[in-house]
Amino acid sequence: MDPEFRGDIDHHDGTSDALPGGYVEKRRPGELGFAIFLTLASLGLLYSAYGISGFEALSSPGSVPMATTTVMLISALVVAWRTAKLPKVAGETLSKDILPVMVIIFVGFLILFGVLLKPLGFLPTSALFLVAAIKLLSRKGWGYSLTIAFLSLFVIWLVFRIVFTVLLPAGIVPEAEFIQFFRNLLSGKG
Amino acid sequence: MEILIAILTVFTQPQLLILVGIGTFAGIYIGAIPGLSVTMAVSILISFTFSWEVLPAISLMVGIYMGGVYGGSRTAILLNIPGAPSAIATAMDGYPMAQKGEAGQAIGVTTVMSFFGGLIGILVLALAAPFVSEFALTFQPRDYMLLAVLGILLVGSLSTGSLVKGIFAGALGIAIGSVGRDPLTFTERFTFDFKLMEGGISFIAVMIGMFGVSEALQQLQNVNMKSVRQKIDRIVPSFGTIKKYLPLSLQTSSIGVIIGALPGTGGDIAALMAYDHAKRVTKNPKVPFGQGAMEGLVAPETANNAAVGGAFIPMMTLGIPGDAVTAIMIGALFIHGLNPGPMLMIDQPDMFWFIVGALLTANFFMLIFGLTGIKTFTKIVEMPRSIIIPLILLLSIVGAYAVNTSITDVYWMLGFGVFGYFMRHYGYPLGPVILGVILSRLLDDNWRRAIISEREDLGRFFEGIFTSPLSLVLFVSVILIFVSQTPIWTALKRRLFGGETL
Repeated sequence: MDPEFRGDIDHHDGTSDALPGGYVEKRRPGELGFAIFLTLASLGLLYSAYGISGFEALSSPGSVPMATTTVMLISALVVAWRTAKLPKVAGETLSKDILPVMVIIFVGFLILFGVLLKPLGFLPTSALFLVAAIKLLSRKGWGYSLTIAFLSLFVIWLVFRIVFTVLLPAGIVPEAEFIQFFRNLLSGKG
Repeated sequence: MEILIAILTVFTQPQLLILVGIGTFAGIYIGAIPGLSVTMAVSILISFTFSWEVLPAISLMVGIYMGGVYGGSRTAILLNIPGAPSAIATAMDGYPMAQKGEAGQAIGVTTVMSFFGGLIGILVLALAAPFVSEFALTFQPRDYMLLAVLGILLVGSLSTGSLVKGIFAGALGIAIGSVGRDPLTFTERFTFDFKLMEGGISFIAVMIGMFGVSEALQQLQNVNMKSVRQKIDRIVPSFGTIKKYLPLSLQTSSIGVIIGALPGTGGDIAALMAYDHAKRVTKNPKVPFGQGAMEGLVAPETANNAAVGGAFIPMMTLGIPGDAVTAIMIGALFIHGLNPGPMLMIDQPDMFWFIVGALLTANFFMLIFGLTGIKTFTKIVEMPRSIIIPLILLLSIVGAYAVNTSITDVYWMLGFGVFGYFMRHYGYPLGPVILGVILSRLLDDNWRRAIISEREDLGRFFEGIFTSPLSLVLFVSVILIFVSQTPIWTALKRRLFGGETL
């Protein structure tokens, strides 16, 4: 292990030395763009922080936001400057290593999940998501994907509704009536 | 006597005992399954337990935390994939042992040593925390402010990535934490006149996004990785083996506790330092380091579990987390209406002792579960990623939604998930962001309190810093980190620790 490499160890997977946390001496595809984006964003936030209360007083509500966004701007500038000077990583492309199609598809899935969650309800949305995601990732038959998806959804639903009593959007499935039906059934027997 | 009763609360209610057990068990597996991490688990779990009573929720989370720190070592040994940052050092000698067919022995020793280290950590926590919190009562607002800055800086500089990127991440976290209406003056901050931003950004959404979604997205790139089967036989180590490594484990446990107790440093650094220490003090290892030396396994494993107890010291007494996981634990305590800090020890000493008891219990469960069930373990760890990733994503969405039953939080989470995904790719550490979000309020409040009490006069503020030894030490430490740009860590460690316990 390169002792100088202090990449992102939050990424604990360690499956590939190319993946985690970039390189110390090299620039990954899109890294400079990201750094510039962060710089511009910091600038925008600094402007916004100035708008909170300006230089009114040291104890004003805007003082800490202004200080932090200034720190952000300076550090982002330093990062961008350093990144710009680094040579590119050979053999990596944005579409292959940073943003593969699969990641974009999944982000799309997640956005769709958020959109459908309220109107459709938790169970149908999750079922759709799980079946699609598992089918896509495992590249196995429909039978496999459907079985695994419904089985795991059932377990998750049980754990959430019964153990954690989390309220999830019911949507089109009459979930509450369903649970009540079983409660009645059980109490009728016991 | 009262203390003892509080510690033993876990045992008086079977429900709590079971929850600690389930938590530890789940934690071991979560830590061990590549693609799942403790930070991820605890941040998602917060959103599901927030409607619970305090004690059961804490029991479960303490269990997961303790189990997770240990569980990460399993895959480090078996697959050369550290399941948690704190297990990175474990892989260096653990995996070579597994390759030689000594996986069972390695796991056995790891388990016993983790237990031992954990015990020492908890012991130190129980002994030191009351004193530290008493001392913390004398802290001025400026000291809290400096401590918060120091914590964020340390996480940014020591655990991950380049220091500048760490500083950026920390500042970003503070900015995220200040979104919404200012609690003191009710002024809008960073809301851009959007109504839905007035309440601020839910820190749980940020956490789940950064640690759940972004990690799952990254895992998409290694969906088809095959896991390697290892033969595991004898696992319970002999008494002789344990006795042999006892002196070393005592030393490395101390390293673990001390480093865990520093604000901003956690199990990962503790383990690496302990590994380094073992390398220096072991003159003639039977097997060279890096090729399966037992010492190279004992040292990091005792240290990272001892660091758990250590990390709870600043967390419980000062409200300043030591690393990303403790930051999330603080978030969990917040959610349940507890306010970690010196007042917690005075107002609710029972709560503190309860947590000590829960940690202790979790440690015992860890020993039991660690030495048994190894067959099922190998099966579960082989669970394909094509199933795990969709499940993590599902849990993340449901978790983000459940806290406030708001779809807005889901979108925040997705946004931070994608943002965190890029941060991971380009080497920006995520820990400081979370720490920043958690500490934002504390930093802001204390800065304003400090400067108001000095009548808005910066000169007087600095005079205050230079006339108080504690403030001075903290201030100098912050400056040193900025100036040095490289971890000047041994010197800093002594300074800081001296400042905290004297």
